[in-house]
Amino acid sequence: MAQCVQSVQELIQDSFVPKVAVLCSEDAQKITRKNNLNFSELLRPFCRLTSEGHMRDSNNQVQVVKNLRISVNNVVTRPSVPTSGVHSPAQRRLLSEVVSASQPAEGGVANVITAGDYDLNISATTPWFEAYRESFLQSMPASDHEFLNHYLACLLVVSSSEAVPVEQFLKLSQEQHMIQHNGEYTNPKWFIPNTLKYYVLLHDMSQGDEQRADSVYEDMKQRYGSQGCYLLKINSRTAAAGTDEQIPDPWSQYLNKSSLQSQVRNPAMPCDESSNRQSINKGLRFNHTTPALTLVLCGRSCKLLDYKGKHSCELPSDKPTRRAKSLQFYTGVAAGTSHGACLTLNDHNRLRLFIQEFTFRGLLPHIEKNIRQLNDQLVSRKGLSRSLFSVTKKLFGGGKVPEKSIAELKNTSGLLYHPEAPELQIRKMADLCFLVQHYELAYSCYHTAKKDFLSDQAMLYAAGALEMAAVSAFLQGGAQRPYPAHYMDTAIQTYRDVCKNKVLAERCALFSAEVLKSQAKYSDAATLLIKMTSEDSDLCSALLLEQAAHCFINMRNPMVRKFAFHMILAGHRFSKAGQKRHALRCYCQAMQVYKGKGWSLAEDHINFTIGRQSFTLRQPENAVLAFRHILTNDSQQTATQQGAFLREYLYVYRNVPGVCEVALPQLPLPCINSSATRVYFGHERRLAEGEKQAATHVSLDQEFDQDLAAVWQDLEEQVVAAANRGVVPSTFYPTQCCLNSQTDNLHFPLAVVEEPIIVEVAFRNPLKVPLVLSDLSLLWKFTLKDFSRPQPQDVMVGDAVTITNEKEAIAPRVRKGKGGIPSVCKFLTFSLLSWQARLKLLPRQTGQLTILGLVYNLASTPSTGDSTINSNSPSVRGRQDLEIQGPRLNQTKEEKTSVSHGPDRRLDPTITPPMPLLEVFFLQFPTALLCGEIRKAYVEFCNVSHVPLCGLRVASTHPDFFTFGSSSLATPLTPLSPTSFENCSAYKTLATPPGATPGSVTAVTLVSAADFGSGGGGVFGTGGKRVAEIPLGEGTLTPGESTQLPLWLRGPDQEGVHEINFLFYYEGAEKGGKISHRVLRHTVFICASRSLSVRATACRSNTLPEEEGRNGSMLVFVDVENINTSEAGVREFHIAQVSSSSKQWRLHKCINPAENKDCKLTTRERGKLCFRATRCKPHEATSKSLEKYTFADLSLGNEQIISSTTPCADFFFRRCQSSESWRPLIAVETQGRHSRSQGAGPGGGAEDITGVVRKCNEVDLDIIVLWKAFVVEDNKQVILEGQLHVALQTIGKEACSLRQKEEAQEMVLLKFKPELPPPMTRPSMEQLSHLIKTNLHYPESYSHSFVQKSLCMIPVILTLSNCSLAQVDAIIDLRHKTTSPESLEVHGSFTWLGKTQYKLQLRAQEVMRLPLRAGFLHAGVYNLGTPRVFAKLADQGAMCETSQQTATPALIIINST
Amino acid sequence: MHQVRLQIKGSDEARYSYSIDVQISAVLQYWSKPKNYPLFIRSVPVQNELKFHYTVHTSLDVVEEKISAVGKAMADQRELYLGLLYPTEDYKVYGYVTNSKVKFVIVVDSSNTSLRDNEIRSMFRKLHNSFTDVMCNPFYNPGDTIQSKAFDSIVSAMMVQAS
Repeated sequence: MAQCVQSVQELIQDSFVPKVAVLCSEDAQKITRKNNLNFSELLRPFCRLTSEGHMRDSNNQVQVVKNLRISVNNVVTRPSVPTSGVHSPAQRRLLSEVVSASQPAEGGVANVITAGDYDLNISATTPWFEAYRESFLQSMPASDHEFLNHYLACLLVVSSSEAVPVEQFLKLSQEQHMIQHNGEYTNPKWFIPNTLKYYVLLHDMSQGDEQRADSVYEDMKQRYGSQGCYLLKINSRTAAAGTDEQIPDPWSQYLNKSSLQSQVRNPAMPCDESSNRQSINKGLRFNHTTPALTLVLCGRSCKLLDYKGKHSCELPSDKPTRRAKSLQFYTGVAAGTSHGACLTLNDHNRLRLFIQEFTFRGLLPHIEKNIRQLNDQLVSRKGLSRSLFSVTKKLFGGGKVPEKSIAELKNTSGLLYHPEAPELQIRKMADLCFLVQHYELAYSCYHTAKKDFLSDQAMLYAAGALEMAAVSAFLQGGAQRPYPAHYMDTAIQTYRDVCKNKVLAERCALFSAEVLKSQAKYSDAATLLIKMTSEDSDLCSALLLEQAAHCFINMRNPMVRKFAFHMILAGHRFSKAGQKRHALRCYCQAMQVYKGKGWSLAEDHINFTIGRQSFTLRQPENAVLAFRHILTNDSQQTATQQGAFLREYLYVYRNVPGVCEVALPQLPLPCINSSATRVYFGHERRLAEGEKQAATHVSLDQEFDQDLAAVWQDLEEQVVAAANRGVVPSTFYPTQCCLNSQTDNLHFPLAVVEEPIIVEVAFRNPLKVPLVLSDLSLLWKFTLKDFSRPQPQDVMVGDAVTITNEKEAIAPRVRKGKGGIPSVCKFLTFSLLSWQARLKLLPRQTGQLTILGLVYNLASTPSTGDSTINSNSPSVRGRQDLEIQGPRLNQTKEEKTSVSHGPDRRLDPTITPPMPLLEVFFLQFPTALLCGEIRKAYVEFCNVSHVPLCGLRVASTHPDFFTFGSSSLATPLTPLSPTSFENCSAYKTLATPPGATPGSVTAVTLVSAADFGSGGGGVFGTGGKRVAEIPLGEGTLTPGESTQLPLWLRGPDQEGVHEINFLFYYEGAEKGGKISHRVLRHTVFICASRSLSVRATACRSNTLPEEEGRNGSMLVFVDVENINTSEAGVREFHIAQVSSSSKQWRLHKCINPAENKDCKLTTRERGKLCFRATRCKPHEATSKSLEKYTFADLSLGNEQIISSTTPCADFFFRRCQSSESWRPLIAVETQGRHSRSQGAGPGGGAEDITGVVRKCNEVDLDIIVLWKAFVVEDNKQVILEGQLHVALQTIGKEACSLRQKEEAQEMVLLKFKPELPPPMTRPSMEQLSHLIKTNLHYPESYSHSFVQKSLCMIPVILTLSNCSLAQVDAIIDLRHKTTSPESLEVHGSFTWLGKTQYKLQLRAQEVMRLPLRAGFLHAGVYNLGTPRVFAKLADQGAMCETSQQTATPALIIINST
Repeated sequence: MHQVRLQIKGSDEARYSYSIDVQISAVLQYWSKPKNYPLFIRSVPVQNELKFHYTVHTSLDVVEEKISAVGKAMADQRELYLGLLYPTEDYKVYGYVTNSKVKFVIVVDSSNTSLRDNEIRSMFRKLHNSFTDVMCNPFYNPGDTIQSKAFDSIVSAMMVQAS
């Protein structure tokens, strides 16, 4: 139970006060009427006595009466009405008005209660409840079983201006007597038969004769005794005069209540005369329609009632006129000044004195007398009755029916006693004692009475006595007697169940609960209050439930949830009772407990109710807020329920006046995933135009891929570096055409004027019902800014509705394009679906644009559930803002400890001046190629902007895939040779001279790599390897111009699908703009299928250098295998030509000229070609300085392809570039492997050994195999051409055109420790064994007559050739004998004669001959290859003396002649 | 058995609570210490679900009262079963609290006489075992609403049996 203003004691005391009736003569009324009050009202503020009264009880002991209050009321007579246990409708209405009039103050006291983890904001006081209680207690009808609200005394008031006041007194006295004893009226009820009559002479100071009044008073004193009469002088000033004097108005607080009660109907009316008048009107109405109403309205309307009632018996026919008159009368008065206008402070004092006098002289002695009387009666009767009763009880065996009851009626509540019945006397005495605060005596009396009533089975009486006994026991205070709570319980139960008197039960419960509360028995109080709720009265139940809820929260361990639950119940009852404001308040308080705790069903229910109540109370903002909660939280409700919520929400929205006009409301649905918003700058590109294929660029349809973005950014960086002479400018910022949540949005994106901005917004419908959106458009803000001289201009907010007008009306600025999908204006978003809308903006001027949000119409589908959209379904126009939170910052410590987010400028593009815009189209661009196939395509560059374009460059992830050719070598296309194939070959060819044998060298060309490197329009710029400048005619593209360029493509070497990215870079002609450059992306997918596999090996020829007259020659074996698997497609491959390209070597001739001219390979066939390669002699000396490549073409067919020109050489060089990148890597790897095999050793100076050693094995020869493939395509034979490259690096090592995948890379173990750096750097044994090449020269057969000479001596020359470029020490050991068993078997051996071990030193590349002699003893075949050569580099220690590879077996035949 | 398991899991941090409502029945859980939010709710007559939610939520007050009353006396070996929390006109509400302060609440139709104290007790025990299994799932993030199929089926079986 909430805290109350009054304490319990005060409450109970004030509820039971001595009541005094007032009868007024008409003249007296006129006097009081001057003050706008009647007599009882006049007295009311002074009814509480400030001084103590004294009285003696029956034992003659003085009893102090403190703080007594009396209640003065006009006598209202009405015919007997059966007292029912329920309130009449009028009473109910009154109570409900009282409650609804009392509302919590706006922003008033609310204290925070912390219970567990709940912090609740609850108003501690419940004034509406107190108002209700006061009203309720006042409206208690006087009943027969208790006397507390019976009249104890009657004031007879007569004006001194009356002609004969004494007569008037007599008249009034008679009237009172009639009312009391006539039996015509059961109301009002009188306490004691001989009611105290107190005669009051009212004197109007302003008009009456004071002396006369005094004399009349003297007369009265004579008549009634000085104790029984009083002269009251009032109105000591005229209404007109003395307005300057400020007199407090003590009446207002008593009278306002009544006017408040009537104000409820029209709360707007100010609380002054006008409301008074209204209350009078209402009073009249009450009077007319419900004559049974008692004292409902205290104050004037009340007066009106009794005024009416008094005369109604006399003048029943006169009613209408009288009422009219009285109305006139009242309005006249009411229109005057406020209450007590004619009263001075002196008068106030007089009134106070009068009451005091009356109470102490008249009332208290009267009560005292009566108590004594009753006491005497009881004492005298006690002995008799008790004994008599006990005897009769004994005689009749506990006869239940006492003598009095025989004659009485029996009703459900038990007995009805006659008003003067002796049983009631004791109750009467108890009540009297209670009224004068003599609680101890009262308790004992009640207790006795209770026993009597119970034994009589007079349940109503007994309950009353029990109730009062409990109350008086409580009021006794001290620890004399424990509070008998069970008395109360029994009383309530009896009232309710036996007597069926809900009102009394309620009163009792109210007291009981209040008492329990004061004793901190909150749980009992709550139980009691909850028990009292019933279906009968919603208002009462609501109030009681609310109090119960307050009890729960006030407990020592606050029961928050019970509080909340009962609050909800109370709110429910309030709303049933029509108390919407209170209902709303209850729900709001309960909401605090349920909010955000996961009790979604309950939360939804509360929110929904709050929304509804708020709406009916015209608080649309709150309603909208509450409904938002239901809709935005992930609802667990069923679809139908959600649909209902949605419709309700839309309805509320549409009926909110003024919301739509002022500012568009924020809509909660559908959810916009702001961070998923994507922004695209630029046109939606055409993907194809006829045969032309447009560059793919970027579009919103593509998913963002982080890796891909990195690739593009890398490419852009390279191309920018290339464009800026190798340096990436510090202001470089990668171009982002499409912004989303993963891109870097820290910078303001740049958009170009006249180029559209497309915003994609992601919606999600969290509900299970479809939503209809229509008329979507963007909301934006634009600041005009000329970038040459910045000056902020007006900011205008485009509204969706005014787009079309804006075009003409408002000058240039920015005009909005149509909605993203113009043809569809309505969308259904189905349940739980996410869905995107694209909206377009077209900036017309430069400046700063900010996209604020979205505007759209939201509607729900009709409840039938079909998805057809009918146009008149209710829709609401509203907006949703796009607020994008940037990524969380996590750099500094502060950022790490707190949650802060960076900015996201996705939606704030800067509109910059026009920039060139490039479009790129591809013609005849293939999608599938054979590996190594060469194809010619065309590319068209088109400048579609109004600004010239220059600096066109392209970067690609696969630079070896394409070439634009080298312009410096561009010669007019070769005339086709007679034997050339029908289709236009991509290669430049020459017809082979007729006489030449195929396979012999026909052409040797020297080409500098620079020609293909940085020459005009060359392949690779200086900045990056992957960047190429595109040879435009004049370097610029004028607006609208387009250029076509040829483009050669070569199928990638690896089979499979390749994703190839092109990045076209271009700049505007004017430098220094906001955007330095622009890029265009293109991605192609090429499917490469297998063609040929070429493997090549180089072998050192063993022939002596002198033989050929050259320093070196090599044999090159080329294995060509057709690995194409599609038998149907590719019929056969022809090897058209083999070319070589190297700085030092060239192919000399083909050794095995095939029978047929071409080398044909059908599927899975393999062929081997053998070539001899020689060093390019003329350039030997200068090869290092002149980085020129020698191209040698060996045509196997009848036409020669010039390999040194575009595109063959282009691709060759491109391939070099790409392969160079991996070449050193392999070297390191092999070294690493060797070092491990060789083990540890001092590694000083090992670096150069390795170099030297490797060098001697190195060949740097690239073989280009040019082939033609005969392909059947659509029943037509097509010839495809291609080229494959093989790079020979080391002698004896096989090289393959297909790059072998390194096995090691397949499964790389994760290593946590870095591997030890390879300590190796020592050349391997094998490598070292190649240092020296040996050769034996001897006659093949020799005839010798062993008969003549037993020893045959044959001279043999051992040629040692140092392959390396360093000095080599060599040891030749001739004694060395083969240890293999095989050689032992050879019968007979020979011996070397002469010096058998030599130590020689060979300079770099020196050839040394060593004459030897071998001696043979028998004829036979001998192997002369026994000499072992050990070599080491001269400047090294003995460490790496390695046995050199032996020459092949050198057999000699010795014939014996 | 579950005593042991609880020790393993059990810190004295009071964490969840959980309730079941078998009217013909509904199961519920909540996070007790921080918020008391439901981990699992199930009720068999779906049409009046809101009322059950309110009932169960309100019963938490009584559960907390009982815990605080018992907790002082014998913190360690207290009875997990709290017995009948309170009767309403139509329902009986039973409570159970694990050592980790997860609350189980069962609401039973008061006209259902087949469910006596012992049956309710065994139901709670079953529920607790099943709940422990849920907690043992390494993929279950303590505090999330329970979405385990096994748990669901056990609860459903119990409610079918009870009705």
